[in-house]
Amino acid sequence: MHKSWMKRQSRLGYLFIGPNMIGVLLFFIIPAVYSFYLMFTDYKFMSPETNFVGLDNIRRMLNDDLFGVALRNTFVFLLAVPVSMGLAFIVAVALNKSVYWQKTLRALYFMPYITSGVAIAFVWMLLFQPTSGPINGFLRGIGITNPPGWLSTTEWSMYAIDIIWIWFMLGYNMIIYLAALQEIPEELVEAARIDGARPWQTIRQVIWPLVSPTTFLLLITGLIMTIKNFGIIQAITQGGPGNSTTVLSLFIYQNAFRYYEMGYAAAISWALFAIIMVFTVLQWLGQKRWVHY
Amino acid sequence: MRIKKGLTGLIVGALMLGLLAGCVGKNETNGGDNGGGAAEGKVKLTMWGAVPPENGPQEVVDTWNAEHPDIQVEYVRFVNDDDGNLKLDTALSTGQNVDLYVNYTLTNLDKRIKGGTALDLGEFTDYNIDEKMGEDAASWKVDGKYYGMPTKKNAAFFALNMKALDQAGLSVPKAWTWDEAREYALKLKTAGFKYGLVQHTASYVDPLDSVLVKNGYVKADGSSNLDDPLVTKWLETLNGMMKEDATTPPLGEQLTSKMPVENMFLGGESAMINIGEWLIRTSNNMTEFPRDWKIAFAPVPRLAAQEADMVKSGGLGDFIAINSKSKNKEAAWEFLKWYADGGMMPMAAGGRLPSSNAVDQQTAIDHLLGDYADSYDKESLEFVLYGDETPTFVRSIAQEVVDLRAQEYEKFFLGNQTAEVTVQNMVKRHNDWLKQNQ
Repeated sequence: MHKSWMKRQSRLGYLFIGPNMIGVLLFFIIPAVYSFYLMFTDYKFMSPETNFVGLDNIRRMLNDDLFGVALRNTFVFLLAVPVSMGLAFIVAVALNKSVYWQKTLRALYFMPYITSGVAIAFVWMLLFQPTSGPINGFLRGIGITNPPGWLSTTEWSMYAIDIIWIWFMLGYNMIIYLAALQEIPEELVEAARIDGARPWQTIRQVIWPLVSPTTFLLLITGLIMTIKNFGIIQAITQGGPGNSTTVLSLFIYQNAFRYYEMGYAAAISWALFAIIMVFTVLQWLGQKRWVHY
Repeated sequence: MRIKKGLTGLIVGALMLGLLAGCVGKNETNGGDNGGGAAEGKVKLTMWGAVPPENGPQEVVDTWNAEHPDIQVEYVRFVNDDDGNLKLDTALSTGQNVDLYVNYTLTNLDKRIKGGTALDLGEFTDYNIDEKMGEDAASWKVDGKYYGMPTKKNAAFFALNMKALDQAGLSVPKAWTWDEAREYALKLKTAGFKYGLVQHTASYVDPLDSVLVKNGYVKADGSSNLDDPLVTKWLETLNGMMKEDATTPPLGEQLTSKMPVENMFLGGESAMINIGEWLIRTSNNMTEFPRDWKIAFAPVPRLAAQEADMVKSGGLGDFIAINSKSKNKEAAWEFLKWYADGGMMPMAAGGRLPSSNAVDQQTAIDHLLGDYADSYDKESLEFVLYGDETPTFVRSIAQEVVDLRAQEYEKFFLGNQTAEVTVQNMVKRHNDWLKQNQ
């Protein structure tokens, strides 16, 4: 009796996950396996012939200077993740206590995250305008005679993108941190206070360790999200000037959908996959040392 | 029991597939409704182009549809950028409804021919493209065949503020070098303009292509010819105009602000603009861009010293191909001939001058200028459109090469590397590319 009930239950379960599984199979697993195969071919979209070329694409990638440039830019792009998380933590701690305009401020911080990427791109391009933009206007106002050219120079463009990305991610990170902070039992903070801890000590030695699972989650998802993102860069600089903002994901997009080099793009995609994999595994291994559940 | 479990899975799977198929099927029925007319003896054609329907194409197909109840044409717009072309290519290679489509670059056309989606028009014998369109049409031939019809006359030119020229005592040139253009820019700037010259980033490289079409992109030994001395000459001229003379906007500034160069020219901020016939679309808009001065026209300057060495950007454009998988090739061909021989006239107002000699030049110009003919210097306009005998080219190099050049010269104009290093890098990357694609 009990056994058959279990059977029925699991059947029902399959029925519920069925639609999603088929979606995953059709739109994720099959394309992924197919792209693995494409990596070893010279498949060009629209081209009639496809030949098996073995490791040529991988060899080409390793010899491609642009791949190196894209890799370096990707790592600079990733710097935005910890910075954004740090800022988000500070803002979240501040907004967790009763401050004026608390709800309005929370909404304001979250606003970028729900705004269209193209709109963000245009606003930031105006802000970053080297000669007449408000950011450089401000910098000149406080006495910096030679403010950076931001998006108009190859040295600064990637950092300018970082700043936009930090700002974009801040709201999301903050909301998640806020949720984690609400979970912290009041007694622990109270106890720390009675023991004579200063506010800064409380944050560092009580609150920060208690939200470490959240930090871990945000770090992994943040790195993956950032490494995959290309939309915002495509909208702002298309990888330029020169190739100073070409990150790996944008490089894949260009090869696949601008040059139709699908085989080569598949090879770079799998390189990107490998990088994400390494990051994730390293973090899983490292989490035991600093994540406290 | 085990079998039963598997069976449930199967049924669920089948149900879901059925659902998915249902969605697809539904779309097909929708498509079928469009094509349903075919059963009643009517033909339904779909034409894909990048011009917004309200800028002429809708009027063109409406006119045709009114005259030809048996062949109805529907216009579908795709945006002529990477995403838009990808959409068209996907539609072509998956056999969606595309009967006719417009190619804007040889690079894109080439891919579509290789993909087997462009019909060799050699099978139709009742229209001679070479005779109708003139010599310039031949640059669109691939392997000696026409896989479509070039329908529009391209024109690249400098538009000049005639009032400013007169005041500075400068004449409208009929042939000139970049050095002379640089002088003009300097004189006009001192006469009270913010910039002497503005240009779209897309027009930046035209002088380079002029040189390389003439002297070859590739040397006789198969290596890159991007180290032609005139390439350096171009880099240094433009760089001098940006940094020494300040007669043209620095590239960094232009890129980050997506500078609206047409507005700057029409608004009197710049005395000259390097542009093409599409300027007229904006300059005829007197409500948004009122001006009390005439626009004069000059050919794009050349880098080479000798006038005989000049090949200018231009030729013909809007290359319309028939999908080789189309079910209505004959009907598409009928429409295409009609379109080229004057049917496209409503698009002239948007700057698209018909290339067929079946169309009267004067009528085309009248359409182009509309109500504001008086605000243009007609003599110089006729010269750049029809009078200039300089041979023309249509850029035919691969997107990768266009991009790699741009990446390197951007670094130069931004001051990250010297002209010498820029040329070296271009050559190296071009050679790598040639090796990859031999």
